[in-house]
Amino acid sequence: MGSTLKKIYTERAIKPPGSLPLVGVTSNTVPWELLQAAGFQPVLLSPRRDRTPIADRYMEDVFSARMKAIFDFLLSPESACLSAVVIPRTSEQEHKLYLYLREVMREGKERSPQPILYNLLHAHSPEAEAYGLERTRDLKMQLERLTGRQIEPEALSAAIAEGNAARQALRGLLELREGPAPRLTGSEALALIGAWYFMDRAEYAPLSQEARKEIQTRPPLKGPRILIKGSSQDTSDFCAAIEVHGAIVVAEDDWWGSRAAGQDIDTTLDPIRAIFEKYYFDAPSPRVFPSDIADAWFLRKASEVDGVIFYLPHEDDVIGWDYPRLRDFLDERRIPHVMLRTASSDEIGAFISRIQHG
Amino acid sequence: MAEKQLESTVRAAAYQKAWFAQLRADVFEKQKPYAIVQADMPLELFHAMDVPVVSNQWWAAMVSAKRLAPYYLDGLNALGYHDGLCRYCSLSLASTIAGDPAQAPWGGLPKPALLSARLTCDCIQRVFETWAAKFGSPFIPLDAPGASELPPRWWELSRHRWSELFESHRLDFMVAQFHSLIRTLEQITGSTFDVVRLRALMEGVNQQEQYFEEVRDMICRAPKTPVRMHEQMSNVMAAQWLRGSDWAIDHARAFRDEVKQRVEAGVAACGSERLRLMWVGAGLWHDTDFYTAFEEQYGAVFVWSMYLAFGPDGYIRYGLDDPLRALASRTVSFNEQLHNPPWASEWIVDQAKKHRIDAALVLEPLGTRPSATGNLFIERALEVAGIPVLPIVADMVDARSWNGLEMRQRVAKFLERV
Repeated sequence: MGSTLKKIYTERAIKPPGSLPLVGVTSNTVPWELLQAAGFQPVLLSPRRDRTPIADRYMEDVFSARMKAIFDFLLSPESACLSAVVIPRTSEQEHKLYLYLREVMREGKERSPQPILYNLLHAHSPEAEAYGLERTRDLKMQLERLTGRQIEPEALSAAIAEGNAARQALRGLLELREGPAPRLTGSEALALIGAWYFMDRAEYAPLSQEARKEIQTRPPLKGPRILIKGSSQDTSDFCAAIEVHGAIVVAEDDWWGSRAAGQDIDTTLDPIRAIFEKYYFDAPSPRVFPSDIADAWFLRKASEVDGVIFYLPHEDDVIGWDYPRLRDFLDERRIPHVMLRTASSDEIGAFISRIQHG
Repeated sequence: MAEKQLESTVRAAAYQKAWFAQLRADVFEKQKPYAIVQADMPLELFHAMDVPVVSNQWWAAMVSAKRLAPYYLDGLNALGYHDGLCRYCSLSLASTIAGDPAQAPWGGLPKPALLSARLTCDCIQRVFETWAAKFGSPFIPLDAPGASELPPRWWELSRHRWSELFESHRLDFMVAQFHSLIRTLEQITGSTFDVVRLRALMEGVNQQEQYFEEVRDMICRAPKTPVRMHEQMSNVMAAQWLRGSDWAIDHARAFRDEVKQRVEAGVAACGSERLRLMWVGAGLWHDTDFYTAFEEQYGAVFVWSMYLAFGPDGYIRYGLDDPLRALASRTVSFNEQLHNPPWASEWIVDQAKKHRIDAALVLEPLGTRPSATGNLFIERALEVAGIPVLPIVADMVDARSWNGLEMRQRVAKFLERV
């Protein structure tokens, strides 16, 4: 089922698929539609690397493994296929990635695709909103300078339509995780959803719909329905570690999983404003503020599941601040939960067993 | 605790204690407003509105110096905040959560009228939102776009050409946020913001920092440093938290005068000075004796930290026609200037050369992760400049994993090689 999508998710190949030049992005908050309309093939950078020897020369141990892997990739010959890399101000580590890339290039010690900072802010305020819209317009101009040609309104509309079609298909998959009888495991869902970051979205939509049709015919899955909150799940390993105990991961408060699609981009607005609003108002980021906005999705979803697993591995220094507040919310509603710093099979098993046996 | 060699240091400590006692009295007895803010906030706006400010980092340093950090941080961890979370910026919050005025330094922090912070790292909004909820006070954030233009040798542009140094869209955005913050301060105080007063305050800050620059220059030129690093820190930061005020300017002048007298009299902080050391990073607040521990045996004297050196380069702004914009330029890039490449490493190497530094100790605070970034660039730049570097893996406020004896032995071995 969805084997093509799973293969794309697993391989995360970054190579020119055809005539379009590739541009790397580091997060969900870089407007795919702008890059696409500019004539690029956007691709998420999330390489799997056991070792990061180049990054280790420059990046301190306080950076996440994913950020180190991205940096290592960008400084390696493998990144030569990228025309540029767009890095959003979506996390502090990403801004530092941008500064580090600039510096090693300035020193002449390393080569990297040209880094572009997209200064999208995530605090909800009139000032941040106005600033973000302006920076989105600036990103458009930077991309136009890169290609030497204007982004035409028709190209923007087409890219928005293509992105929305892929979102609709993605939401179709997510429906199979809803309700009392889900049909899609979390491990499988992460692969089917995550593929859309690594491929052409025009191709994603039909493949995703095809996978959906096949999965719909399956019998419902049985087992406690689990929501994961914590560090981003850029692999399905943690889901698998939960599901091996007979539970079903039905949601992640995470841009890699349940929150990948969100709502469509509004086609009735000025396209640049519509694109900005999508990524400002409807994209998860560790910097969304205030917390009642940042928490809203989690609080709603938590009431639809049988248990919540907070996963705060040792590299976490952000979501750990949210945990006591969210834990208290769950306690008030008697929703079972556990907090894990490692993917300990024993602890996971004990928690699932506790849910199953009341 | 190491002796205080300067009268200014004694006076600064006494003034801070009295200032805080007065603040508590004003809050409790007269219901006057005050604010708790991050150290990199535009304190000048609060001062111009007569709202006293307690800096989060100052309070954390106080708590740590009183050896209370383990108690408070253990308490925070017991509530479910895991031990991998940043400690420097959360220690003051932990002291509020513990809520035991008898134990807290100087009776503890009273309820502020507001809390405010720049959203630099991803955790600070969480720390301050949690803290504000605990107090039942509003939290006013200032968001922080990333720098994308970083011209070389920023300190040569920051005083007169600051409008070129920082991207205009970042300055515009910061000014817009200032207006929003000012509206809140006006609501809290019932007063009207006066830009003329802000300009006068900014001119006062320039005056104050010019005195600090004179001190810095004397330390660079004198055969041996006339003032120990930790006394520099005490004097400078006592004034910086109140920058631009009459007391701060007077204190900076008095500090300058005292150092000048010492230089003219040939007085050295350590008569046997043979090695001049640089401390890169925040202060080691739980063990400031560390800074004098290598004088007797090795003649190794800490002469430089960012606290004095950054004052003139980071704060002075000439051309105050638009004081809000000048203040924005002071505020937008602290992080890049002090921590991140290329600005931090370039400036620190320049400072090392000017201060005739023989070796550098670089704090790697893994318990306060955002402060640990940029260090590899700094260390490499220093080494390329011929300055040996010893990384010190330790937290600036949390003594729980600090082994002072072991660390002193490590530094001793390093100094023997130097």
